[in-house]
Amino acid sequence: MRDDSSVVALVARAAGSDQAAWDDLVDRYAPLVWSICARFELSSQDVEDVGQNVWLRLVEQLGNLREPAALPGWLATTTRRECLRVVRAAQRVDIPGDELEERLSPQTDAAAIDQEIIAAERNALLRAALAELPPRCRRLLSMLISDPPRSYAEISAVLGIRIGSIGPERGRCLERLRRSEFLTGLSDDEFAAARLSVPGSEPHA
Amino acid sequence: MRDARDDERLLAALRDAERARRAVPDGFVQAARAAYAWHNLEAELAQLTYDSQRDDAAAATVRAETASVRALTFTSASVTIELEVTGRSVLGQISPFREGTVEARTSAGAVVTVPVDEIGCFAVDPKPASPFRLRCRTVDGADVVTGLIML
Repeated sequence: MRDDSSVVALVARAAGSDQAAWDDLVDRYAPLVWSICARFELSSQDVEDVGQNVWLRLVEQLGNLREPAALPGWLATTTRRECLRVVRAAQRVDIPGDELEERLSPQTDAAAIDQEIIAAERNALLRAALAELPPRCRRLLSMLISDPPRSYAEISAVLGIRIGSIGPERGRCLERLRRSEFLTGLSDDEFAAARLSVPGSEPHA
Repeated sequence: MRDARDDERLLAALRDAERARRAVPDGFVQAARAAYAWHNLEAELAQLTYDSQRDDAAAATVRAETASVRALTFTSASVTIELEVTGRSVLGQISPFREGTVEARTSAGAVVTVPVDEIGCFAVDPKPASPFRLRCRTVDGADVVTGLIML
């Protein structure tokens, strides 16, 4: 697992008394907690309960995490355990933990959760890097990745740059993004590796 | 060297990251932020020392007899809080006995405050619909918060 010193710093600040640091942690990792709940296909009420329990447990544990850098793994494990508890309660039968795990689909097994952790860490770093780009780059890249996609004509009109300049400017902004301290050491292949499920994203020589 | 495909891949990765963020409902994030209200309470943490559902699980006969009532005990250095959860409410007693107030706060942030009588008894009725913690403050200055209670 990548050593992300900024997570360690955020955990330390939140363990003191710093709501902003806590909010940062939540914003970074709420998608991880959410995506694991989604794999279990819980009702929205159950997802809410799981989420609240996970974050409350983290509040309790802030000062005691043995490895703050491994927070994403801790969150994923805690979320999965909470999801299993909800699933077990819904079935109203006493299935031992191990057996229940065996019955789970590959959607929710440990390997699938590991994939979510890797993707979530990468996504958090990418969003952090994007957030600290100069406003002009941030706006351009945000428009380029928006859903549904914007046309170059639209981007040109909104940002006031010529259509012919969008390509080169895009390249410069992405280059800047790559140099972000959040992404140091991450190769393009590693970005691609996080996106195994997306066709056409396989690494090339 | 980098080429256009590297740029495309980086953009695609950014798109995934944003999509993952947008998939999370606002309320989910807000509730998570609100959980920090439980941090650094100037209260002593009472640990769960007994839970009939957990501790009696091995003894099926005991569980069958007590299925309708769940008993929980939380212990801190200054007080012990014993709870009985029925279908409808949470009944509790603080010992050593003394008056005060009990605050039940769900993880969603809803708070109900009830009085504690002179023999340390209180009732949260109806019981909270989602997981909650109890904060007990007594007239002689004890301030204790329980771990998360899931019914």
